[in-house]
Amino acid sequence: MRHSSSVVSGGYAGHPAITVESMGTVISIRIGAAAGNAGFPHDEALRAAARQAVADVFRGWNDRFSLYREGSELSRVNRGELRLTQAGSELRDCYALALAWRDRTDGVFTPHRADGAIDLSGIVKSLAIAHAGEALYGLGLRDWSLNAGGDILVAGDQTPGLDWAAAIVDPLDRSARLASVPLRAPLRAVATSGSAERGEHIWTTVDGALSPFRQVTVFGRDIVTADVLATAIIAGGRPALHRSTETFPIEVLAVLRDGSLLATPGLRADSA
Amino acid sequence: MRIRAAAAAALASASVLSVGWLVGAPAVESLRSTLTTTLSSSASAEATTTTASGLGTSSGSGTSSAATTTPETTAPAAEAPAATEVTGTFDGSAVQTRFGPMQVSVTIDNGTITEVTPLQLTNDDQKSVMISNRAAPILRDEVLSAQSASVANVSGATYTTQGYLQSLQAALDAAQF
Repeated sequence: MRHSSSVVSGGYAGHPAITVESMGTVISIRIGAAAGNAGFPHDEALRAAARQAVADVFRGWNDRFSLYREGSELSRVNRGELRLTQAGSELRDCYALALAWRDRTDGVFTPHRADGAIDLSGIVKSLAIAHAGEALYGLGLRDWSLNAGGDILVAGDQTPGLDWAAAIVDPLDRSARLASVPLRAPLRAVATSGSAERGEHIWTTVDGALSPFRQVTVFGRDIVTADVLATAIIAGGRPALHRSTETFPIEVLAVLRDGSLLATPGLRADSA
Repeated sequence: MRIRAAAAAALASASVLSVGWLVGAPAVESLRSTLTTTLSSSASAEATTTTASGLGTSSGSGTSSAATTTPETTAPAAEAPAATEVTGTFDGSAVQTRFGPMQVSVTIDNGTITEVTPLQLTNDDQKSVMISNRAAPILRDEVLSAQSASVANVSGATYTTQGYLQSLQAALDAAQF
């Protein structure tokens, strides 16, 4: 740590996080207290602008890609009302990106449901997070954190000289933390996949067996990579875990079914 | 099979040693056995060459690697007296990989590779990283734990809007950081 805890609590009275509901979850926005955020955190107009910018981005992605919405562009494609070639470039680009990730993960991550429908929910949320971050940059904000349903992207510092940090929830006791990790450059994004919150929403490994992992957290340079690989490792088991850590610049903390842990070297306490 | 073929084909290159290391322990074992065989068969020639170029010291850190030496010396093998087998430590040259520059050292004892050691591996930020970024078993109290006072965000499996209300994140969001 670069700073002692006295610096953390040193006279700065912040604000509660700004929250937005979208995509069936809650997005928490925090603006850092760094000098680069002119007028912040006491500028209520800027807080409102940040909230609106993030809400607009998420609504845009949700309107286009949600399979819960009958009228979404992707729902229309899946019903055959709209040909893929006639769909907007955003949808086609998103689909192409998902297919690229399918190839990078040996097919473990896939944008196709068992029934053949295109399901881009595996990357839409993280793309929305990335774009929401760009929207915050567009407002002149350089220090912020975005947490959408447990997937986090940060920029700048929490307070001058102090990194944003992420706690990793313990899937065996969801009120407890497994780890607290500074999100230092270049690993500024973290995503966690698991089966605890939405039931077994990633049911099995590719060969039909139950995933050996209860929860997988991936720290990466961008939120899409972190999110896709967390999903792929849950679904692909140990082979996907080892292939991912060998191929991509990431750190991984995985919780096995019995509660024991696997971690890459950068997440060991003595590596700090 | 692919790894073995690659090892045989490009035996001379230290970069292949590096790649073999990246690919994993089995690949290194494969390389090691292949290299050992080759070194033994051409050991006499190699001994001559390494002595001549002054790299054959037991603690040597010369810039050319044993692997690089091997092919050059295969041809004139006949003229070498079959004296001592090659012994020493040889550093490969640094090669660029997508993980950053990498370099390995091989220790050879009487023509047998006894150790392959990574010397250099840095990421884009010039910070040393492990050659193998494998996830390994770790105890809960060994996991990185920054000062909790600074943590404003929690990462967990995706929570629903309803789940959020009972989440650690909701508690942190209410706190005035």
